[in-house]
Amino acid sequence: MKRKGVFLLLMMTVTILLTSCWSKKELTDLAIVSAMGIDETKDGRFHITLQIINPGNVAGGMQGGGGGQSPPITIYSASGDNIVEASRRASDRISRRLYYAHTNLVVVGEKLARKEGLNTLIDGLDRDPEFRNTSTLVIAKNSTAADLVKTLTPVDKIPANKVLKTLEFTERKWGENVKTSLQEVMKSIESPGRGAVVSGFRLVGNPQQAQKLDNLQESAPGATLRASGIAVLKQGKLVDWLYGKPARGTVWILNKIQGTDINIDWAGKKEAIAYQTVRQKTSVSAQVKNGKLHISVHTRVEGDISEMEAPVDITNPKVITKIEQSLRKEIKKELRIAIERAQKNKTDILGFGEVVHRTRPNQFKKLKTEWNDVYFPKLDVDITVEAYVRRAGLRNKSFLSGVKENQK
Amino acid sequence: MEKAKISASQLFILMVLFELGSALLVPLAIDAKQDAWLAILLGMVCSFILLLVYHKLYTYYPDLLPTEYMQRILGKVLGTVLAFVYILYFMYDASRVLRDFGEMLLTFAYPDTPLFIANALLMLVIIYTIRKGIEVIARSGELLFIFMYVLAVGGFILIISSGLIEIKNLQPILEEGLFPVLKVVFTQTLYFPFTEVIVFTMIFPYLNNPKKAKVTMLCASGLSGINLIITMLINVSVLGVDLTERSQYPLLSTIESIQVANFLERLDVFFMLALIITIFFKICVLFYAAVVGTASLFKLKSPSRLSYPLGLIILFLSITIASNLQEHNYEGLKVAMFTIHIPLLGIIPPLLLLVAFFKNRKKHEENTFN
Repeated sequence: MKRKGVFLLLMMTVTILLTSCWSKKELTDLAIVSAMGIDETKDGRFHITLQIINPGNVAGGMQGGGGGQSPPITIYSASGDNIVEASRRASDRISRRLYYAHTNLVVVGEKLARKEGLNTLIDGLDRDPEFRNTSTLVIAKNSTAADLVKTLTPVDKIPANKVLKTLEFTERKWGENVKTSLQEVMKSIESPGRGAVVSGFRLVGNPQQAQKLDNLQESAPGATLRASGIAVLKQGKLVDWLYGKPARGTVWILNKIQGTDINIDWAGKKEAIAYQTVRQKTSVSAQVKNGKLHISVHTRVEGDISEMEAPVDITNPKVITKIEQSLRKEIKKELRIAIERAQKNKTDILGFGEVVHRTRPNQFKKLKTEWNDVYFPKLDVDITVEAYVRRAGLRNKSFLSGVKENQK
Repeated sequence: MEKAKISASQLFILMVLFELGSALLVPLAIDAKQDAWLAILLGMVCSFILLLVYHKLYTYYPDLLPTEYMQRILGKVLGTVLAFVYILYFMYDASRVLRDFGEMLLTFAYPDTPLFIANALLMLVIIYTIRKGIEVIARSGELLFIFMYVLAVGGFILIISSGLIEIKNLQPILEEGLFPVLKVVFTQTLYFPFTEVIVFTMIFPYLNNPKKAKVTMLCASGLSGINLIITMLINVSVLGVDLTERSQYPLLSTIESIQVANFLERLDVFFMLALIITIFFKICVLFYAAVVGTASLFKLKSPSRLSYPLGLIILFLSITIASNLQEHNYEGLKVAMFTIHIPLLGIIPPLLLLVAFFKNRKKHEENTFN
């Protein structure tokens, strides 16, 4: 009996120990950081801006009070000689412990990216066990990271989410932007003879206006955030911005295009037929021809016709073949523009060096050190495109061809 | 020796868990860059030769512990000294693995907890298990083995389905030729983790079907080898060589990268669970071997009584062997490898076999002569 009592006592003491609350973090003591902006101060130190979620205001939503609410996020900022110092220093203005496990977005100011580069930032973020290197990295175009992080956004109340979702959807539907995680950027900066691409984001409108709740009271907010271009990094430093065709061509060669829209001319009319891609596959390979390195880019794309602004009769397969041919030309042109731009920048963002490294390691060893500046810009690149039209929506002939026939 | 019996399948499970142990945790064979998997494969194949040596020694003395047959082979004094050295090795290895466990826990999840507390909590459980004997260890192994594989297969499917694998990262194969790979094989993978199973020679006498020992041993090494190869292939193809090389715990980073459909993410807890299971068994087996060996060497009747003192030694050793993680890793890969692993696992057993072979032949001849 006595033994049983001792045993019971032991069990109870052990239970207290088993709650293991040594490194406990109470939810009410955490400040959940949703986004972090990194800028440079005038004297060359780091300035971080932290976007912290106000839990009550996110859950309650707009139905609750209407006007006069507090915003869903609060901004704190601090500076320091490195990111860890700045983050620790920020604790003198926040009543809670900064919690980085849910930081999905890191914004780097354009000035910092251009002058200092990303290389010095990465280690601190990558090393921290709490911070995830799957979080998305974005460069703030034309503004400081602070302005971008401070902006309030409609629909998605947490601005970090708005940025992430925008990148995700535009990458899937339009393809002029990429969503790049810290890990991906790190890998491509590290890879021998390779430049990196990072998504760009821009604040449109007045930064002062953007931080106010009033901004959200309008149906067309005066200040908004939008994905804007692709930043080209050479050795971690921003050297160029890509927009439009070069941007899309780059994404295409990186085999990241999911869906986009390509227009071709038809019967003298500019951009008459819109073609939407459904799936594509791009592969890059390296050969040696006459002792010279040679890169071949091959892409195969399938998709549908989604709009025809000219009277086209696609019931005839020959017409489809013709459309496919002009599509090939159009896509080839776009890829060519992207490659030429990269060569002009002397930055191998397309990963050609990696292909050479993989398939011809011995040869690449000699080229490695001067790949970006000497060999890459002079590279011969072959582009072959296979484009297929598979379907054309609910109708066959264009509406315009009906109009044309009946009005004769 | 306690009066216990384990079956061949239990031995198999213990061996697999043992070899996965801390080898899953570290960037194994990463000195061979993207050919790490090849180094593990070759290490496994080469280890089979040494495993057969260990097994041959066992067939000469099927009922004796290595600590006992060393005395038969080398004579009383030299044999006792050597047996003692092996016991020390088992304890040192156990404390290294315990340290690995503590460092993993502290680095990843409990930065504010002292190392001693983390290690002591695991060690208490292990001491308790050791007191219960080898049969209990083997049975709990069976139970947790299934759990471990459910985790592993689940993780594998998630990594594949989140599209993280880039086979490109594994190319070019043999960039610097075969030499760097062989160097890694003979200075690392052959010993850690494959021939570390020498500790199982302390457990073979408990086997209820001694004939199956050889097959079981080779199969277990094969399975764990394949698992380690797959793990390293996935690590390198997800993270790339440079990041894997820089990672303290590459498998953790790989699992952290999983993001399926925007909600299946941050699965690192499962990594911890799997690692705690395998590390638990690795320490258990090493510790058990040390306990049984000490008991037989000093002719103690109940080995389980030794579990508290020896357990405390391992616990304190695990704290004092290094002042930081880097020193700990350096010792493991550079110092202990050449001064402890290679002589004790690669050189002494074949020599023992040679002596045993001549001794037994002589005995055999005498027998036939009479």
